[in-house]
Amino acid sequence: MKILLVIALLSVTVFCLSFNFQQEKQYRSLYKASLSTFREEQRELLELINSSKITGEKEKIIAAIHKSRKSLKSVDFWLRYFEPIAYRKINGPLPVEWENEVFEKFEPPYRREGGGLTLAELYLEEENPETDTLAKLIRTSIDAIATFEADSITIELKSPDHFFLANRLFLLNLGAIYTTSYECPDTNSIIPELRHMMKEVKEIYFSFSQEYPKHSLSTEYSELFEESLRFVNSQPSQFTSFDHFSFIKNFVNPLFAMNQQLIREYGVTTRNFNDFSLNNNSNSIFSKNLYNSQNTKGIFSLIEDEELLAEIKSMGRLLFYDPILSANNARSCASCHNPNQFFTDTTQATAFKFDHRQHLSRNTPSLVNSIFNHLVMLDGKHISLQDQARDVMHNPDEMNTNEKELLKKIVSCKEYKEAFKKFLKHTPEEKEVRMDHIISAITFYYADFSNYLSPFDEAMNEEIGISNEVKNGFNLFMSKAQCATCHFVPMFNGVKPPYIGTEFEVLGVPADTSFTKLSDDKGRYLVNPAKETLNAFRTTTVRNAARTAPYMHNGVFHSLEQVIDLYDGGGGIGRNLEVPNQTLSSDSLKLTQKEKSDLIAFMHSLSENVIFDQPPVKLPASSNKSLNRRKIGGEY
Amino acid sequence: MVMCSNQKRTQYEIADHVTKENKELLIERAEKGKVLYKIHCAGCHGIFTKGKDSIPNFTKIQIDNYQAAALIGLDPKNHAVAQKMSSQQVDYVVTFLRLRKID
Repeated sequence: MKILLVIALLSVTVFCLSFNFQQEKQYRSLYKASLSTFREEQRELLELINSSKITGEKEKIIAAIHKSRKSLKSVDFWLRYFEPIAYRKINGPLPVEWENEVFEKFEPPYRREGGGLTLAELYLEEENPETDTLAKLIRTSIDAIATFEADSITIELKSPDHFFLANRLFLLNLGAIYTTSYECPDTNSIIPELRHMMKEVKEIYFSFSQEYPKHSLSTEYSELFEESLRFVNSQPSQFTSFDHFSFIKNFVNPLFAMNQQLIREYGVTTRNFNDFSLNNNSNSIFSKNLYNSQNTKGIFSLIEDEELLAEIKSMGRLLFYDPILSANNARSCASCHNPNQFFTDTTQATAFKFDHRQHLSRNTPSLVNSIFNHLVMLDGKHISLQDQARDVMHNPDEMNTNEKELLKKIVSCKEYKEAFKKFLKHTPEEKEVRMDHIISAITFYYADFSNYLSPFDEAMNEEIGISNEVKNGFNLFMSKAQCATCHFVPMFNGVKPPYIGTEFEVLGVPADTSFTKLSDDKGRYLVNPAKETLNAFRTTTVRNAARTAPYMHNGVFHSLEQVIDLYDGGGGIGRNLEVPNQTLSSDSLKLTQKEKSDLIAFMHSLSENVIFDQPPVKLPASSNKSLNRRKIGGEY
Repeated sequence: MVMCSNQKRTQYEIADHVTKENKELLIERAEKGKVLYKIHCAGCHGIFTKGKDSIPNFTKIQIDNYQAAALIGLDPKNHAVAQKMSSQQVDYVVTFLRLRKID
């Protein structure tokens, strides 16, 4: 009898223990199970591909791809965050990408091959797709899954920190990627897949809270997420009719803010590259502190004294307007980057060369928001703002000067000399005033003008109304007009979540408005020669576009209408130019007049409320009398 | 800013194939890194000072294992100073640590 009792007790204990054990590991087993389902689905897909003829059975293969995509959406939450490089093999947007992310931009760009379901589906649309190529795309993806089973990755699941960071990336992508056609070739599937994914993420949330009860999501968060799920389910299934504006404003952005608060509250830490740029203190996707900008202080980086920084800035301001920076003392930064024209030159397609006769080959970019590019210049030639400033001063076609001459002129002005002598004391690694001091003061000055918000941001952040045209324009931007697949929310430039790299695109921009030939500017190819980079340019921001005409790298277009027509008409190819590596779809977007004008209304809502300052009344006097005739802002 | 006066000079080890010009450039950078290191890093990472136990003092093996990534913002533990530095300044410090001759 006793023995029986003991046995009974023991078995109860064992049962309880195993139950507890199950409970504890529920979150991890969900990860494991979802990952293996995804692998199995793809293996079946691969078998189907190998055993069928593509012609004739295309529909069947596409249906199987769509089925696999669903199981991808059950693990996307984790995979995209854990290992972005392996993720490209599972769900890459392009067959070949040249990467140059913040932490590796000191090195030459890496060539990375993509694979997976999106590319497979796109490949099927090409002429005469071959079984081998198609199968390879799926095999690449299956192989890459092993990365996500490695101990170095699964160990992350054993502590709660990764969850909030993966969730942050998920929320940012809800705003920037998942409701667009960025990685979903079949646009009919975008919203159904979104619904499925959010439902799956809800399961992830649940199992996480079971395993980590002390690190649960707040009730407020869970309730709003439920509500967002109801919203998405009640919306039309076509992404063109989906209310992108309300989805982001009422759900994605508030959820992001709550998740950020949890990151701070729980003291979440990370070593993941995905978190490199993101700022834990940002409370809105539509704020200028969402991700870290370029270093604007340069050599003065370690200075924190506000008063001293203000002095540096005021010197930067004088220098910005001072033509002393050019060899002929006639051209200043403000000559091309006119502060009253959003720090660009809206009067000509491309600025004069140093000789004041010929023209440069590229349009002057606005300095406003330039600090949010990880690579600077339209070809991504420079990795820092300071490098760019140095290059402009040395460039014989631009300012045509050198360090020695320039510094001699600077110290001939007492005001500069004394100020920089003082600043020098705070850069102990330097023995004398150098070009670095000059350019760092300049970048520190103009960076401020990137910190303003637009009416669109305000409408996203606060209870401020915005016109239906703007909302409609934004919804078009995210869907039918396909703008958001390159101009990512929220900076509307080529920097997509997690905001660590800059994208380049080939549009087929013509040399003239009648499209007689392609612009001969090789773009990114000049920096990184490759088949894919010929005529590619860094995707610039749409912010302030309405105020910064003319457009494109060569300033060929004068109006936003012309720009929209380029995209609507399928870029260069659409106008019969030969652009073998064009990344823009060559199909017409079929936009109506009303849709075009709504898009333009949206772009106007992105004009930021920048408060520009007035030019200085005078420039520092020089001991060299001839220099004192120089004109504030220069003569160009 | 008197710290340099009484210190013995740091010796650097640079591979033979590096040109004389580049050697000078590297030493110039390393010297800048040394200044920054003394002010901002040496309190914990002992080279010139005792430093703190359990914090790397960059012996030959340690510097090889020490990732620049950790220095520029991914290390959760510390490096508030390193995060404030410009990438050029981080480069100076790393150059100093890499080239410094260790007896």
